[in-house]
Amino acid sequence: MVFNTGAALLDAIVLAVVSMDAEGTYGYKITQDVRQVIEISESTLYPVLRRLLKDGCLEVYDMEFGGRNRRYYKITDAGTAQLSLYVSEWQIYAAKITNIFTGRKKP
Amino acid sequence: MNRTEFMNRLERLLWDIPENERREALQYYNDYFDDAGPENEARVIRELGSPSQVAKTIREGMSENGEYTERGYKDTRFQDRQDVPADYQDIAAETSSGQRRQNPPNLWKLLSILLLCFLLLPVIIPLCLVLLAIPAAILIGIVGIVIAAAVLAVALPIAGVVLTGAAFYNLFITPAVGITLGGIGFLLLAAGILTFLLVLWTFKTIFPICIRSIVLVIRWPLRKAGIVK
Repeated sequence: MVFNTGAALLDAIVLAVVSMDAEGTYGYKITQDVRQVIEISESTLYPVLRRLLKDGCLEVYDMEFGGRNRRYYKITDAGTAQLSLYVSEWQIYAAKITNIFTGRKKP
Repeated sequence: MNRTEFMNRLERLLWDIPENERREALQYYNDYFDDAGPENEARVIRELGSPSQVAKTIREGMSENGEYTERGYKDTRFQDRQDVPADYQDIAAETSSGQRRQNPPNLWKLLSILLLCFLLLPVIIPLCLVLLAIPAAILIGIVGIVIAAAVLAVALPIAGVVLTGAAFYNLFITPAVGITLGGIGFLLLAAGILTFLLVLWTFKTIFPICIRSIVLVIRWPLRKAGIVK
């Protein structure tokens, strides 16, 4: 990708991806979903998930799947609040950039 | 490399991180392989890179100062986070404070080591004395031998000269006794000169070696401690 994704944007994308599943989702699926949007190496996501977990934005639980325990990640209330903050900031930011690009004046 | 080898290598590379961190990371990657399925195993291994790369990522993610972006790890200590509005940082700080716990200094370990040292004092002190006494005894023994040889080197020629003198005197009274005394006198004189040469050689070669080794022995603990190079 031409534009690089900063830490905050990566956090926001991961939070958004996890929040799409109300029941929670698992590491492999999160990676694949994030990779639909940005180029990211497979090993990059573990530290991000770990930090979001430590910061209380995500929580984990283990559930049986196919005869083994699979770890699910679920967004917390703090995580939802953080995400909505990211989203509103992104909208302002994206609108400004779009305005510049399309040559429109400030509203 | 297959999945089992990859995971084993990763586990070995993470030997020094806290147990729970290692378990979490290994479970994540185990799950990852399980969910990718056996048909994707080779691709996942290729994309993850080497186990040491993955271990590095995990390790760097554990340090509190850095952040992950799609470009990889970056240390945020040396850059301002100007891209994040101030109110954001406050909220981020709020959510993260409380979760972040600091490792208590390892006081108990230090105390137990000190206690162990104290309890072992009755063993350590005699041991140190013995270790000091053995080289001292060897040194004193060597010095004694050298002094004896030096005395011999002086005494033997004197005795030789005296006997030779007595031999000249006796030569005119009883020639046999005179010749015998003269022979013994010359023998003692020769032995004295040889001893003198031996002592001289000892001083020239043995002593510098002794002094050098003593200096080395004394410097060894200092060098270990990094005081002397």
